[in-house]
Amino acid sequence: MIHIFDGAMGTILQERGILKSGICPELLNIKHPADIINVHKAYINAGSTIIETNTFGASRIKLAHFGLEGSTREINMAGVKNARVAACNNAKVAGSMGPTGKFIEPLGDLTFDEAYDIYLEQASALAEAGADYILIETCIDLQEMRTALLAAKKAAPNIPVICQMSYSEDGRTVTGTDAQTAAITLEAMGADIIGANCSTGPEQLLPIVKILAKNCACPISIQPNAGMPHLINGKTIFPMSPIAMAKWAPKLISAGASFIGGCCGTTPNHIAEIKKALYNSPDPIRIKPTSSLALTSRTKTVFIGIDMPTRLIGERINPTGRKKLAAEIKNGSFISVKKEAVEQTNAGADILDVNMGVGGIDQPAAMEKAIKEISQIVSTPLSIDTSDPQSLEAGLKAYPGRALINSVSAEPDRLKYFIPLAKKYGAAILCLPLSDKGLPKTAGDRITILKKIITHAKEAGLKDNDFILDSLVMTIAADKTAGCEVLEALNLYRHEFGYPSTMGLSNISFGLPNRPLVNSTFFAMCLAAGLDAPIMNPYDTSMQNTLSAAAALIAKDPNGQKYSLTASKQQSTIVKEKNIPKNILTAIKNAIINGEKENVANMVEQALKEGHSSNELTEKALSAAMNDVGKDFGAKKIFLPQVMLSAEAMREAFLKIKEIIPAQEIANNGTVVIATVKGDIHDLGKNIVAALLENNGFKLIDLGKDVANEAIVRAAIENDADIVGLCSLMTTTMTQIDSVISSLKKAGSKAHVIVGGAVLTQEYADNAGADAYAEDGVIAVKLAKNLVQNKL
Amino acid sequence: MPIYNAPLKKVDQKETRRYAGLAIADFDENFIIDACDEIVYSATPRGIWNMYNYDNIHGIVLADKDFQITGSKILNHLSHCQKVIIMAVTIGEVIEKSIEMAFNNGTYSHGLLLDAAATTAVEQIADALEKNIDPKANALGYKRIWRFSPGYGDWSITCQPQILKLANAEKIGIHCTSSMMLTPRKSVTAIIGLVPQTDPFSPEKPSCQNCSQKNCPSRKVTNKNF
Repeated sequence: MIHIFDGAMGTILQERGILKSGICPELLNIKHPADIINVHKAYINAGSTIIETNTFGASRIKLAHFGLEGSTREINMAGVKNARVAACNNAKVAGSMGPTGKFIEPLGDLTFDEAYDIYLEQASALAEAGADYILIETCIDLQEMRTALLAAKKAAPNIPVICQMSYSEDGRTVTGTDAQTAAITLEAMGADIIGANCSTGPEQLLPIVKILAKNCACPISIQPNAGMPHLINGKTIFPMSPIAMAKWAPKLISAGASFIGGCCGTTPNHIAEIKKALYNSPDPIRIKPTSSLALTSRTKTVFIGIDMPTRLIGERINPTGRKKLAAEIKNGSFISVKKEAVEQTNAGADILDVNMGVGGIDQPAAMEKAIKEISQIVSTPLSIDTSDPQSLEAGLKAYPGRALINSVSAEPDRLKYFIPLAKKYGAAILCLPLSDKGLPKTAGDRITILKKIITHAKEAGLKDNDFILDSLVMTIAADKTAGCEVLEALNLYRHEFGYPSTMGLSNISFGLPNRPLVNSTFFAMCLAAGLDAPIMNPYDTSMQNTLSAAAALIAKDPNGQKYSLTASKQQSTIVKEKNIPKNILTAIKNAIINGEKENVANMVEQALKEGHSSNELTEKALSAAMNDVGKDFGAKKIFLPQVMLSAEAMREAFLKIKEIIPAQEIANNGTVVIATVKGDIHDLGKNIVAALLENNGFKLIDLGKDVANEAIVRAAIENDADIVGLCSLMTTTMTQIDSVISSLKKAGSKAHVIVGGAVLTQEYADNAGADAYAEDGVIAVKLAKNLVQNKL
Repeated sequence: MPIYNAPLKKVDQKETRRYAGLAIADFDENFIIDACDEIVYSATPRGIWNMYNYDNIHGIVLADKDFQITGSKILNHLSHCQKVIIMAVTIGEVIEKSIEMAFNNGTYSHGLLLDAAATTAVEQIADALEKNIDPKANALGYKRIWRFSPGYGDWSITCQPQILKLANAEKIGIHCTSSMMLTPRKSVTAIIGLVPQTDPFSPEKPSCQNCSQKNCPSRKVTNKNF
């Protein structure tokens, strides 16, 4: 059956002079109910079968803009009452809830619980007043939609909830969610009708309807704008005429929508034409969406299934046995957790398992934080791995997508606490064939336990595409049939259930020598037997190679195309042996020019053993190298990062020289005091110059950034500095250069002053009384050497 | 005062190369990737913005306390705007420490590349914030023109305290020193003009050719003066 929504409310109220600038539109439900009822009636007369309450902005947070937050319940109830009066049983009433205008953490500053309470309050009032549907509309953030949906289901468990997101012309919401991801995530959470509204016109929403229809089984609703708005003479105009808009209605229906209406700029005339265009229109023909298991993040969907490529579940975000990671989590630092997320994703993980099992911490808080942090930096869907129901719920709440719960066994507590959470938050479950009666020895035992879990889960409302089955790998060193039973289990899983399968592999080889060989061989056998999503270390190249070759062998990589690419790349990166010159000083010089710091220390050691003095080393190798680097830099043959690589190699050389030779025997080019002047906090340039000077044989006193004049003068005098290097990046701090130079002179410093920085010029340096102006770091070194030599 | 902390999933390697002065250099990509990845997991992106009406005749942002804009380039840039957005973004302070640590540890090139990647990242966060504003601007019938920051052209950075106040930037931890520099250092403030969709006005974009910093390492390589 096709349902016709109404169109815009606010613009009609404005046109009729009822809604004036600065007035809360929803307050009219109370102040001018008759006018609201009239608009509703106009839509019903035009053919609407569902009308939306004038409560789009009636959340506590929005009403607070008008100081009306205390009237939330009253305003929402009045909205439903007005619609009911107008409908007079000739139309259904949808209680409208729009976005709060704030993003939920970590995208914004609203907490999940605050947002939930705000929506719960509004949905409760709408439901209590008798709305037939709860309509959550114009959401641009999947997390906000999830929150609103949960609140609506709680407030109104028996009323259908419609979830409409707003998509931009690129087919994604502003926060990056695509229609497929939205459809899968929201249907799993129990949305009754899924759709889109606002932002664009019907033409742009047509592909969205098609994607939604392909990816969920529930009805689709669509409410486009009357085209894209224009501002004409201070008024926002939506250009699409009723007839032009109505032409798209049959297309939207045949694409899969069965609820249709209008958003901004649409009027009763638009609805009347849509109604006319759909006269006698048949219901859309919907194709059943794929039954594969799908996991989502905010911006991505990953399918796991028999016909899909093998999906890799990255296991590395797990502090078990990793002291450093555990300590960081305990200290509240999540940098290593984030690093693992990025690097595992780069290494090819399709899903990331997140485990926060550190003793003595607030695990729910750690899980919440980890999920928030990870979901901000990678699009990879997550698997939440915990034995604590509170941590699980914290993770599921925080996750803006459809997660996997790892794992649900047949143990009573898991069934009791984990399955309802999976249902509530729309998560899939990894079913682990373990029970309170011990480990299942045979494949048949595993099937028996899994049946118990699945039956229980289905009774709680989970569906066929919510399950992935673990094969439970045990150790062959302890049980010779352990491997065979896993292979048998994988076969049986396919036949008995048809759900995808997973496993952690490495248990198989405990206690055996050359474990990688056993693991990768077993991995290949499991892939052939039907393993769909291994849980493994994505950095393990031998396992990755096995996966790549196996994918070709079992036709998941047609004709071995991907395998060919990977394998040929590996062959081409075999490093060619470098031609090392026989003369050690030349070798050191070349290593420094090329920035090859790894071997420099050994070479220096060798040179000293061969009888070369430190001065000879410095002159013939290090300084010679830096001269060449400087020339190439000046000629723009190489650039600053390359110069810095050479400086790094120089540093290694100097460290080695200092380690071997007494300090007084090492050449010292002079003492340099360097600082970024007072008020200036940009010190990159100063750091570069400092690095170069220090590795060109100068004794360096780096005072840092934002340094007071007195400190610079004191350091120059106390250290009898040969050079004072001053840096200023901004015009607002440049005058400090003048001031420091003047103070140095007054204090009797004999040091030469070199100045530099983005805004400084030769002219400025001259006027300020500097001895030299350095345009860049390489020039600064040259100037320093010249000034010191002339001085001496 | 909407807050939008845009996700940072990838730092643009090409832009990082450019900011590091490596646009035309043959330089190991792995160094760039390492720096970009490190920024992803050590950045804390934050963003905030406010919309104001704008008097384009007198160059005044109409806030509780009006803000007079001075500078011919910025005034010309906003000359068709009826509303403006004042925005601020940052990627936080942790990056500063990472850069400092890289120099202290003698991994200078990594420090330099981290700095370039951090600059790229903060620009990306600013871009993402702008994109987030689009639906609101579009729904009102406006389009946005490119953002203009204090310090560009002849718009003095002395307005930073007012800009920070109008953006409510303190809420996301951005402050201004007495010499008008933003802390954390990798932060950006800007004004974004909103022009009616129907107005064909399209201000000229800034380019390296028009910039006085001839020795800037990130100068675009298309410029033959490089």
